[in-house]
Amino acid sequence: MVKNPSFSEAKKDDMTGLKVTNLCKIYRESTGEVNALGPVSFEVEAGGVLCFLGPTGCGKTTLLRSIAGLEKPDTGEVRIQSHPDGGEPVIGYVFQQGALFPWMSIFANLEFPLKVKSIDKDTRREKVESMLEMMRLSSFASSFPHQLSGGMQQRAALARSLVMEPDLLLMDEPFSSLDTRTSQELQENLRELLKKASTTVLFVTHNIEEAVYLAGKVIVLGHRPGRIVRRETIDLPDPRSRLSDSFTEYLVSLRKTFESLVSDQ
Amino acid sequence: MGRIGKYLPGLAIPCLLIVWWFAVTGGGRDTLLPSPEEVISVLFHPFQDLISTGSLAWSTLVSLVRVAMGFSLAALIGIPVGLLMGASRSARRFLSLMVEMARPLSAIALLPLSIIIFKAKTFSQLFGLQYLRYQKNLLNEMQLGMIFILFWGGVFPIILGTIQGVRSVRKMHLEAAGILGANRLFTFRHVIIPSALPDIFHGLKLGIGRCWMVIIAAEMLPGTNSGIGYLIRYSYQLSRYDIMLASIVIIAFIGALFSKGLESLGEKSLVLRSKER
Ligand SMILES: Nc1ncnc2c1ncn2[C@@H]1O[C@H](COP(=O)(O)OP(=O)(O)OP(=O)(O)O)[C@@H](O)[C@H]1O
Ligand SMILES: [Mg+2]
Repeated sequence: MVKNPSFSEAKKDDMTGLKVTNLCKIYRESTGEVNALGPVSFEVEAGGVLCFLGPTGCGKTTLLRSIAGLEKPDTGEVRIQSHPDGGEPVIGYVFQQGALFPWMSIFANLEFPLKVKSIDKDTRREKVESMLEMMRLSSFASSFPHQLSGGMQQRAALARSLVMEPDLLLMDEPFSSLDTRTSQELQENLRELLKKASTTVLFVTHNIEEAVYLAGKVIVLGHRPGRIVRRETIDLPDPRSRLSDSFTEYLVSLRKTFESLVSDQ
Repeated sequence: MGRIGKYLPGLAIPCLLIVWWFAVTGGGRDTLLPSPEEVISVLFHPFQDLISTGSLAWSTLVSLVRVAMGFSLAALIGIPVGLLMGASRSARRFLSLMVEMARPLSAIALLPLSIIIFKAKTFSQLFGLQYLRYQKNLLNEMQLGMIFILFWGGVFPIILGTIQGVRSVRKMHLEAAGILGANRLFTFRHVIIPSALPDIFHGLKLGIGRCWMVIIAAEMLPGTNSGIGYLIRYSYQLSRYDIMLASIVIIAFIGALFSKGLESLGEKSLVLRSKER
């Protein structure tokens, strides 16, 4: 077991997009310790989509934050494949609450990561506009976040992460405040987009259907401190149909795992 | 209700007071307190020379320009110092004891000391414009000591407001900026400053209110012979209570104008922050 947490980049020809070994996180507060996560170990192949399913408070956000480097894990190792041309991997993170900047228009929010990279103005405009188009937010380019519905804010936050063309995309319940229909539409968009890009995706949710629709692999976490209780490969042909028998089989089977978690508690 | 309409309810009590004032002093009675007509007549002739100190407009202008200078200096220094203290722990350690000790020292208490230090120098002397000395010129009225205490009165609310703004930036926004690749400088410029703006404006509003109170008090002290505060003291000595009351009305009006003005400037940033969900 690796004692000291360390971050390193996987070798270039390695086909592993993300490899996490023995990750463990304990929050130390004045009121005591909260054992929030793990240990968990897993890996995602480059360009793959992995989904973590788990009940509330089981450490899903903690897991994503540790991978993104926002939280220092107590033990374990995180390896992220480097950028195709050898540089630092670009990590996109969609926060559970969106975290859009309220003093900037939606356009300026999307432009932010491009400005950071000092990309020229015309290219920025072009990229932001095509991303807004894809997310069906074009008519809200000059609106401020508070003028958008919760679901639109989530979409804008997703757009802001995608516009940086990340190598690894981490998403914390990105569809949680969307109604079923919009959520499905957006999931379809995202699937299309991910197929084209070679982005490795890790997202967490407690919506089983979302997981089965989007992910290539699903991992179920148990109650806090989250540990892996089940790994499932979703072997469904493209395009995925929510009405197919095999889709429903996955749903039912994962639902059963979830129910047993509740009865264990 | 229109733009003016929303101020109407706030005028109800002042109107009642004026009616009462009229009732006790109006109708040509000879009372100690002047009637509203007399005060209004002073207010309606702002360019008339009063008790040989210059006109009401001139006195107001002198006070206003003094405040403009002292307040600008306070903002120019207070905002950067506040940003620095908010952002850097070591700057806070280095400066906060000094600020906490200096803050409760009333600006008025410092006026004599300040005049000693600056030797009653005015702007016209500072710039070597001696020939202005016997003319009526604003630069003759800008005593460095006076500007200094205005700076003193205004700078602390501005520093404290700015620190508060920087410190209350949401952790989530800082993390988002980091994830989106921004370095410290970029984050400071595009995340910390904009989200601190409402508090900075609040500090500026408190600061200008303080400056306005300080200048009136300072001008009432001996050794001053211009400005609206001086007009109050002098008209009182000559028992010209109509001029004294007119000056008070002007002071109240300008004070309200200052704070409303800064409020509306800060409103846009405030709106964005309070509507965040
Ligand atoms: N900064 C923190 N300090 C102390 N405890 C924390 C902190 N953040 C999270 N926790 C605790 O760690 C546990 C896991 O939290 P986490 O936010 O990772 O859960 P989650 O699976 O994302 O939940 P949800 O589905 O509700 O978003 C919770 O019990 C929480 O109370
Ligand atoms: Mg969470």
